[in-house]
Amino acid sequence: MPRPLIPPIVTEQPALTELRYEVRAFLAEQIRAGAFVPHVDTWLTRWDRDFTRELGRRGWLGMVVPSEYGGQGRSYLERFVVTEELLVVGAPVAAHWIAERQIGPSLLRYGTEEQKQAFLPGISRGEIVFGIGMSEPDSGSDLASVRTRAERVDGGWRLTGTKVWTSGAHEADGFFALARSAPLDPAHRHDGLSQFIVDLHAPEIEIRPIISMGGDHHFNEVHLGGVVIPDARVLGQIGDGWSQVTSELGFERSGPERFLSTFQLLAAAASAMNEGSLPLDAGLGRHVARVAALHHMSFAISSALEERAESDAGGSGAAAAAGDVDVDTAAAAVKVLGTTEEGDITDYVDTLTASGWPRGDELFSLLEAAILQRPGFTLRGGTNEILRGVIARGLGLR
Amino acid sequence: MADAPLTSHPVADPDLVDVLAGLFDDYRQRRPGPSVHLAFDADLWGRLDDLGLTRLSASEASGGSGAGWLEAAALLGIAAGAAAAVPIAEHDVLAAWLLESAGLPNDGRLRTVCRPDPSGVAINVTWASEATSIVALWEDRDQWRVSDVATERAEITAGRNLAGEPCDTVTFDLADLESGVVVDHTIGEQFHLRGALARSAQVVGGMDRVLEIVVAHVTERTQFGRPIGRFQAVAHLVADIAMEAALARSATDAAVARAASSDWSDPGMLFAVGVAKSCVGHAASVVVRGAHQVLGAIGTTLEHDLHLLTKPILCRRSEFGSVHEWDETLAELASSAGHDRLWPLVLTGRAAPAPASRGPG
Ligand SMILES: Cc1cc2nc3c(=O)[nH]c(=O)nc-3n(C[C@H](O)[C@H](O)[C@H](O)COP(=O)(O)OP(=O)(O)OC[C@H]3O[C@@H](n4cnc5c(N)ncnc54)[C@H](O)[C@@H]3O)c2cc1C
Repeated sequence: MPRPLIPPIVTEQPALTELRYEVRAFLAEQIRAGAFVPHVDTWLTRWDRDFTRELGRRGWLGMVVPSEYGGQGRSYLERFVVTEELLVVGAPVAAHWIAERQIGPSLLRYGTEEQKQAFLPGISRGEIVFGIGMSEPDSGSDLASVRTRAERVDGGWRLTGTKVWTSGAHEADGFFALARSAPLDPAHRHDGLSQFIVDLHAPEIEIRPIISMGGDHHFNEVHLGGVVIPDARVLGQIGDGWSQVTSELGFERSGPERFLSTFQLLAAAASAMNEGSLPLDAGLGRHVARVAALHHMSFAISSALEERAESDAGGSGAAAAAGDVDVDTAAAAVKVLGTTEEGDITDYVDTLTASGWPRGDELFSLLEAAILQRPGFTLRGGTNEILRGVIARGLGLR
Repeated sequence: MADAPLTSHPVADPDLVDVLAGLFDDYRQRRPGPSVHLAFDADLWGRLDDLGLTRLSASEASGGSGAGWLEAAALLGIAAGAAAAVPIAEHDVLAAWLLESAGLPNDGRLRTVCRPDPSGVAINVTWASEATSIVALWEDRDQWRVSDVATERAEITAGRNLAGEPCDTVTFDLADLESGVVVDHTIGEQFHLRGALARSAQVVGGMDRVLEIVVAHVTERTQFGRPIGRFQAVAHLVADIAMEAALARSATDAAVARAASSDWSDPGMLFAVGVAKSCVGHAASVVVRGAHQVLGAIGTTLEHDLHLLTKPILCRRSEFGSVHEWDETLAELASSAGHDRLWPLVLTGRAAPAPASRGPG
């Protein structure tokens, strides 16, 4: 038999369900109190540092960060259910999303002791906000072609170049920049890349807004004008940037934000059908079914990643249940299916609604926002075309 | 790390799965060449019977092996992947279960199962012409009755389904149905759910094998001087097949796990089975279309194995409720859940919180 694409499903036990109830009760209370208005794609577009800090106070940030670094020392599975509950109600989670999802785990894996002490407690309290500095004007899908240069100087590295599409850079304290620290060797394109922890408040950094088609400002162009990064802010090993960046893709691509970005719109459509303002239609069932199945897939991968993390940490025989599934290929599959589904939900509701829909209405404003955000779903974090290639490779096609 | 377990891993007994995989791999090598009509494979049935696999899920008290739904689903999927012409779903998963629910004896001889209409006629009864006896579930005014009717007492008009399986019309003597044992009123819905999930398990087993055939083909078949799988358009079709099959499997496995852990008593079963049936049904479109596209002309021939899988996949996705009917059922559940209870519905299959008196669940 071929090896399965997705790890075997796992079943949530009461300890996790209790955690869900706790988070759910808090969120219901916040919505009642008007602390936020549920929306779509909030993990990219809705910043609320107070809300983020409140999550930190409640122990729902830095969940996988060990307690000696100010985190909660809990598992990826617990983190998973907390993030699901936050996403389905469309809570304003953008301020901490990137730090919480990938910066923290990267620091844990590659950071020095000093770096962990410097950043992880602040991330876990929701006080330090991070972005991702990978894409450049001439380097999108072909990330290894980045041109930002890192030149050796006394005690550090001088970074020169331009990063683009940097979500939240104008609000962030820092980002991880991927830069070329050795000249390109066409035979080994992935060599010579390094990651740097960049303080975005440094004077040599210029952040210019890029306005999205709906008029919002969430991403930016970040110009690195020769900022010197001290050796103590090199992440991991010089020259290992590529493998460091790609090793976290499993977390970045398989999480619930890859299929729940438009859940609020789906929920609004369900209630509109219940009230009769939209026709009851079988398509709703089809989309709900896909979301449910995606939850199972994504959760299974989270469980496999947890096992991988445990076995990395020296646990015994932990990887057994995940079998020999390649988690990164599985994560790519969740991202393609999930982000397509988020967009299909949008398009589905759009095809059901007539143009006379009242503008101030909740469903209408969710729909309009979803239509505007939709193109990004299947681009960000690796486009679906690139990811299909990853899956094909995982299947042995090349 | 928390002390209480966070998850459980519902997997079928791996030793059994190994045995099944070996057995059906072997069958695949030796089975008769493809034909339009599938004949019941008495030799295979005999081998399965010797191993206790024709009564895998029936309780030990009734002469079965007492295995759960995890194992039953594994058997259904692996057998479907080998295009085995044997009625495991009908004989064991449905007929044996109905007999047991009715407290009727089961001598283990080949049975199929059906739900005749009020006039005693059942259509699309797979394998009726091969069975020695037919277990009928009949709605007699407001109660359900189960009868075990010897095939010679019924009139059988032979037919075939798209898969080429015997798929017959059975006309019963009403007296045989009226004398059936009255069973619990939930059995009608249970039958529909079990049938739908059994079909889903078969379809995902078939899709796994389709993917295998597709991957082998695109790495072996060469055009323009290279394996066709190197062409991005082809690679993307294959990735789509793999992803849809995986989604359908996750949905089906989740429903099977829920059935196994609650012995079908979980109130979320209707939703869970619906999710499986919907995802499987829509995946079938992508998988079948993509596989035939990638295989080219050879895949459209009788000689090639592909149709032994694609035809049953399409046939089975429409049994025990069409894809559309299941989508409608889910739409009703979702719309009555409404805005705030949609997510609990997705997670648990129930929109309403569990009543305290019913205990945990
Ligand atoms: C909402 C949003 C937020 C983002 N946030 C960040 C961020 O915070 N930090 C960051 O670094 N980046 C961010 N990005 C950038 C994102 O990572 C890139 O958009 C993505 O990698 C694609 O690059 P590109 O846009 O340059 O498109 P291109 O790479 O130019 O691709 C254009 C089209 O060509 C296709 N294509 C390209 N190469 C191939 C190939 N080999 N085979 C088949 N098709 C191909 C692509 O699939 C796509 O359809 C964000 C993007 C979006 C939309």
